[in-house]
Amino acid sequence: MSAPVLTDTDAPAPATERPAVRLLRGLLPYVLALVLAFAVSGVVIAALGYDVVEAYRTIVTTSFRTGFGFTETLTKWVPLTLLALGFTIPLAVGRFNIGGEGQLLVGATAAAGVGIVYADLPTAVLLPLVVLAGVLSGAVWAGIAAFLMGRFRVNEILSTVLLNFVSFQVLDYAATEVWSDPAAGVAATQRVGEGAELPVLGGPPGVHAGILLALLVAAVTTVVTRRTAAGFELRAAGANPRAAAINGIRVEKVAVVALVVGGALGGLAGALEVGGVHGRAIEGMQSNFLLLGIIIGLIARGSALWVPVVAFGIAILEVGASSMQRTVGVPAEMVLIIEALILIFLLLSDVIAGRLARRVT
Amino acid sequence: MTEFAALAQLTVVAMVPYLLASLGTMLGGLTGVFSVSQEGVMLLGAAIGFLVSYGTGSTTIGILLAAGTGAVFGAALGWATTVLRLDQFVVGLALFFAATGLAGLLYRIVIGQGATTPRVDTLPRLEIPLLSDIPVLGTALFSHNVLVYLAALLAVGAWFFLYRTRAGLDLRSVGENPKAADSLGIPVVRNRLWTATVGGALMAVAGAYLPLVYTGTYTDSIVGGRGWLAIALTFFGGWRPQFIVLGALFFAAMDVVALRAEVAGIDIPSQVLLVVPYVATLLVMVFAFRWAKVPEFLGRNYDRESRTA
Repeated sequence: MSAPVLTDTDAPAPATERPAVRLLRGLLPYVLALVLAFAVSGVVIAALGYDVVEAYRTIVTTSFRTGFGFTETLTKWVPLTLLALGFTIPLAVGRFNIGGEGQLLVGATAAAGVGIVYADLPTAVLLPLVVLAGVLSGAVWAGIAAFLMGRFRVNEILSTVLLNFVSFQVLDYAATEVWSDPAAGVAATQRVGEGAELPVLGGPPGVHAGILLALLVAAVTTVVTRRTAAGFELRAAGANPRAAAINGIRVEKVAVVALVVGGALGGLAGALEVGGVHGRAIEGMQSNFLLLGIIIGLIARGSALWVPVVAFGIAILEVGASSMQRTVGVPAEMVLIIEALILIFLLLSDVIAGRLARRVT
Repeated sequence: MTEFAALAQLTVVAMVPYLLASLGTMLGGLTGVFSVSQEGVMLLGAAIGFLVSYGTGSTTIGILLAAGTGAVFGAALGWATTVLRLDQFVVGLALFFAATGLAGLLYRIVIGQGATTPRVDTLPRLEIPLLSDIPVLGTALFSHNVLVYLAALLAVGAWFFLYRTRAGLDLRSVGENPKAADSLGIPVVRNRLWTATVGGALMAVAGAYLPLVYTGTYTDSIVGGRGWLAIALTFFGGWRPQFIVLGALFFAAMDVVALRAEVAGIDIPSQVLLVVPYVATLLVMVFAFRWAKVPEFLGRNYDRESRTA
């Protein structure tokens, strides 16, 4: 891949560009994309014979009507943000990490394993161990793909995806053979020790403390990618690999590190889901976080600053989706289509906004 | 001997979805359009193939409509990456999401939520007269459903078209060096559009094959990574139909072996058997990426006015 995958709209625009043009380029695509996505989906929902207004009202307001809805949204925000960052960091070098699911599951399995085996340790010791186990195993899991990419030039899209399917069986083995809990009713490991559970903030119902870690990770990622030499190398290697290589940046090494870091974040998400939400590793706990993480990363155009914001919006939609399915009867899959349409229309709007901006100048 | 014939027959049956999806990937890729939406388009093909067969009672209409839907998705990828010149991977992922959501949505709308899973009749076997009476070989090769024969014809036809006709040479030149092709008057955009469209249709038929031949039912996990494996297979096959057939045979054989070993109760954790296709694919790719000849412009858009391309 030679061209930058996405243009970072936050990058300082040329000084000569007029404010009107900047606004057109920056904001217009988002407004267009949102309006069009909801309009098209609204037509579909109406054609299916459901109440569009009620459906959209449920989607948008569920998160804010009750404390429970809001907590659920924040709880969903944590893995979504982490997986989205795990996708965008390698994306900055033009590499696609489609393995967030596998990294999350392996991280969750390792975290649960540590939490079960050392269940008697006190929180101060066990909790850091559990989180560390998740982070490290996620990094190792992505590291396999990174190694194959760096050493043998194996396409990382394929290797990360294939490792997802392997991770399902890793979790299945842990949940049915090693630490199985027949009483759980689903394929799941036993519960972790109390020391492995994340403290709950606020509430009830409250949000697990992992949200602070996710915020910290998002902030650090933003600072590192924008304000440090490592971040500069990352962006340079992605923007123009040849120029970067000529200037002494080892592009391939940067890509490998970026992919491993992305995997670590996926593993962290898994550990936080175990310690903060489920108290164990459960099959299917990855939900559709992988797809959503990629959608978030792409809508945010790879910007670490915007990922948390977009992730919050998507979390609202997701929490609203299940509520909409219960009350209005529209299948929750509708929301995945809305999200995909937002992304598609955003891409199309970029083309339109680009042409408009050219006309204005 | 009958045991071997039965295994060989299963392998041939399991080859088809890999073969179709991979030929579809190859076709678009040879002109430079690299799709990554296989997994989603296959799922959508499976949903539509199943639902239409369920509604109309006709498997043929189901397969045709699945192909039509896949063609729309393929055409969308082609249009967005040629006319609009949007990034191929980003568009491909967006279409993958849209197709995945649409498949689930259509199934829930038609069948309902949490209802019992209905079944459709799977495609009947067509025994080819005389040939199917040959011992072993007849069972393995000549008593299959119609899609098996069609996929085989398609692979041969694709090889002939691509490597023995002028139009095929022109087509391949678009993926190797679009600028040179363009300067010779070969329509770059038109070639990319139609190959992406046909490619999408083939992926959707590969998906429709799963409920209509294998299971008779639809689930959201029916594709199970075959779309992604098809991409790997296309690299493995060096973007050439004859090697893709061999690769599909290998992938299908792994499926069958894993299944058989589980049924036979061999004392290995079932999880180990189930990861065999994925791990083997990873290992194979280490070598495939060494020798495989990839179209030079794979995944890259062509801008006639660009000075660098």
